[in-house]
Amino acid sequence: MSFTDSLMAGLSLVATFEAFFALFAGICIGVVGGAIPGLSATMAVALTLPFTFSLQPITGILLLLGVYKGGIFGGSIPAILIKTPGTPASSATILDGHPMAERGEAGRALGMALWASCTADLVSNLALILFAGWLASFALSFGPPEFFALILFSLTIIAGVSGDSLLRGALSAIVGLLLATVGLDLVYGTNRFTFGDPNMMGGLNFIAVLIGLFAIPEVIAMAWNPTAHLGKARTLGQSKVTFADYRRSFKSIIRGSLIGVFLGSIPGIGAAPSAFLSYSEARRKSPNKENFGKGEIEGVAASEAGNNGVAGATLIPLLALGVPGDVITAIIIGAFMVHGLQPGPMMFLLNADIIYGLFIGLIVSSVFLFLVGSVAIRGFRFVADVPKRILMPAVLVLCIYGVFAVNNNIFDVGVMFAMGWVGYLMLRYQVPAAPFLIAFILGPLLEDNFRQSMLMSGSDPMILLRGPITWFFWALTSITIFAIVRNISRKAAI
Amino acid sequence: MSPKVIQFRLGMGACLAALFLAFVAIPMWVSSPSNVSNIVLSPTFWPYILTVLTGLIGLGLVFASRHSDTQIAIEDGNQLDDLSWFRLAALAVIMIVTMFALPRVGMVWATMVVFVLTAFLLRTRHPITALVCAVTIPLVLYAFFAHVAGVAIPQGNFVRLP
Repeated sequence: MSFTDSLMAGLSLVATFEAFFALFAGICIGVVGGAIPGLSATMAVALTLPFTFSLQPITGILLLLGVYKGGIFGGSIPAILIKTPGTPASSATILDGHPMAERGEAGRALGMALWASCTADLVSNLALILFAGWLASFALSFGPPEFFALILFSLTIIAGVSGDSLLRGALSAIVGLLLATVGLDLVYGTNRFTFGDPNMMGGLNFIAVLIGLFAIPEVIAMAWNPTAHLGKARTLGQSKVTFADYRRSFKSIIRGSLIGVFLGSIPGIGAAPSAFLSYSEARRKSPNKENFGKGEIEGVAASEAGNNGVAGATLIPLLALGVPGDVITAIIIGAFMVHGLQPGPMMFLLNADIIYGLFIGLIVSSVFLFLVGSVAIRGFRFVADVPKRILMPAVLVLCIYGVFAVNNNIFDVGVMFAMGWVGYLMLRYQVPAAPFLIAFILGPLLEDNFRQSMLMSGSDPMILLRGPITWFFWALTSITIFAIVRNISRKAAI
Repeated sequence: MSPKVIQFRLGMGACLAALFLAFVAIPMWVSSPSNVSNIVLSPTFWPYILTVLTGLIGLGLVFASRHSDTQIAIEDGNQLDDLSWFRLAALAVIMIVTMFALPRVGMVWATMVVFVLTAFLLRTRHPITALVCAVTIPLVLYAFFAHVAGVAIPQGNFVRLP
């Protein structure tokens, strides 16, 4: 299929009221979800996932992408107003956004956050369109040894999402890999940790695990301390962002967008480091560097451009290689799987219409984000004031319906509850949940490709080093591990 | 809890889990055919590799705990009140009872009760709103999943919804 044919096929898929409405609704849900501290964009995407089952694949995936993009922007609202980032990606926005709110310039800070977010989102989407297809065509020549090397490299993501302690992140990942072994063995068909229960033979349901891990611990944490969330919101103030503000911050926005695109396209780095890097670069280059941290609007612009620049770029490894770029895209993989789609290079051949439909939808999403964001800024009080002790029971009920709906199986609801307690224990012991989820997704792929390689070669391990592609990924893995070890030694020296 | 205590407990837990996996769980609950030609293709190979890694990470955590700070208590927003443990236990009971109630009472009625119990367990300051939401949210979700998504929501043995 030529580029024009694919584009037209994509347009015919996406140019429907349902698709655009799903995208718009997704952005609304995302902005609200991101704006409620404690709910987070990740949880919003996880909770929306069950609603996509009955939709057309393109409509469902656009809904989730809308939630993702809306959630990343929505997180900046509480970051600026109540100094509580709605998502970890918005942490850098606090540095200058909240001091502006303290001065009564919350409206101006939020306006700049929106403009910077939309600009970065557009840049990121264009990068996705330009690079994903190219990377996918390259990946078509991959066999099991190449995929094994790629997935092994992708597991180094865990270092990026482990937070303070790499060992705790690694422990979380190992638990995820172990739980991924539950079910029937793919080569011999024998039972592994199924305890004779037919419900376990297909493995633990991915959606039940992820909702249990990300949504239920919040409910349990609230039972532990129901008043931990109480805070005070601020008013918007009279000042608004001007075009002069935007023009003055434009260089920082573009720089932040490109940083976001670069870091987003590398699996595992995520939006928060990108926002901080963009912020520190803007501070380094700005003539007003002494104002950074005290309420400099360019700081807000740089942070928001950095975290939104990641949103489209994280889809590059997802669509081109089938490897999730971060936790949210790991959840979005679930939507592809539920609809019988396997992200990766073959999808560009078999489902090019869906890929191009997604590209078109993503471009439109930047416009919707601007419209929804403008309204959300004015309506923030209603969003921030949703009583959390009503919200959490609603989340619990929504989780029960959503998880049951995946397979019409009450056993999955039990898996979700059990994983909720596991997630809560991890929360209490400062063990990050993201490595668990990423390992749970990548674990079976790693094992399958390893065993396929061994079958192909008659158990000769040298097949794992059979050509330049595997060498390339082994080299990347080695360099990443070296960088991680060096980073740990430096921290230990300090 | 200080970082030292956390690292030590996690490390010991991981080491014990590795021993349990190696000597109990894998031999008992992972079946391997007797005619496996090569160890790397055996269904037990990957679980054993992960077990070894678990043990190594556990040892790493125990070792790291020796160098961790004993003074700093990690801020986790976990200020205890007298009823914290009671609420956790009650929530666990709600979840267990829900599992039994879903097929017998029906998902809609069970989740209405779950909503009310959870809201009051979390000491809501909006009891009327909680009651209204407890009725409307499960009904709206039922309407969506049963009539739009075509999911066979469990109806229970007592009152059936259209």
